[in-house]
Amino acid sequence: MTRPEEAGYGPLIHRRYLFGLLLRLCVNFAGGVGILFVILYFALSRPLPVEYAGIFHALRNLSPFLRPILAVSVLVYALLACGSTSALCVYVLHKVAGPLYRMELVLDQYRSGAPTRTVSFRNNDQIQPLAQAFNQWIGTLRRDRHRWLATMKDAERHFLQDEATRRVKMEEALRKVAEDMARYH
Amino acid sequence: MKTPPPRPSPSRIRYVSPRFQGPAVLAFTVIIVIGGAIFWKLVDGEFRRIFPLTAIQGHYTFDSAYDIVRDLLAWHLAGLFIGVFLAGSALVLLLVAVTRHGIGKVVDSLRASADGDLSTPTGAGSIGEFDRFGEKIDAVRSDTLASVLTIRSEVTSLASSGISPEEFRLRWDELKHRIRRIAP
Repeated sequence: MTRPEEAGYGPLIHRRYLFGLLLRLCVNFAGGVGILFVILYFALSRPLPVEYAGIFHALRNLSPFLRPILAVSVLVYALLACGSTSALCVYVLHKVAGPLYRMELVLDQYRSGAPTRTVSFRNNDQIQPLAQAFNQWIGTLRRDRHRWLATMKDAERHFLQDEATRRVKMEEALRKVAEDMARYH
Repeated sequence: MKTPPPRPSPSRIRYVSPRFQGPAVLAFTVIIVIGGAIFWKLVDGEFRRIFPLTAIQGHYTFDSAYDIVRDLLAWHLAGLFIGVFLAGSALVLLLVAVTRHGIGKVVDSLRASADGDLSTPTGAGSIGEFDRFGEKIDAVRSDTLASVLTIRSEVTSLASSGISPEEFRLRWDELKHRIRRIAP
């Protein structure tokens, strides 16, 4: 597989996009851990009793008391982190999912035989070389089509000549077109 | 009064592709849940060990339970953050690598198509969305190849047929019409 950069296209995924995604994830996870810390801080910050027996009993009974609090805090952390990460994934990955969806629409349109327009993605979308490669292919096909039709039209220009000469010219044109089409395999 | 022609609807922008973003979201969720479960297990075990121990040893220079577990909690929270972030980063790099590989293959196959190769399969990889997309590209290339080959065989047969001029002219026009339908 050749890299798109080597073929004169831009990169499929820009480094800036990748680092941006990692940075957002870092902030997101740090936020989640921060929230978990705040919950646990408030749960653990209750002042201990002053007298010896009170402290002893408080500490002895603290871990069973903290267990559900710890479980709920971790659950809150997991829910918040999962929610924000999902939103981040949808927001960031649509720059790849969007162009794929757009390309699928174009491919469906092409297969249905409807006129296909040049594909272009949004400015900040990734995988731009996909649109460039598709446009290049369609462009080549159209150039070939024009050339084949031009060859046939050129043969038609002999309509003023006698039937036999015209037929020979048209058959020559057909052989030329067939030869040209042979590059497709 | 003339009614204005209907405006072409702007192309829809779809932000969610469950087939592409869904597995990524699911994988991140698994990482976060596993990280949280490990954190809960470790911290709960430490709490159950450290509070009774502190009660027995009698070091009561603490105002609150937080003072007893401050360092332990800080280390575990740091571990949770680093573990989840590293696993998440690895997942991001994997996603990017899979995207580069899958779409890179599709780009290669489209470039090969421009050079006339419409039959070599794209082979965009076994990851669901890219595999499906590669198959779609292959279907388009295959349709184009079938169309070109049909026209070519028609061109060859017409060039070597000894049919009447009227029939020749009819087939010639039909051929032009079919060529016009390539990449409309």
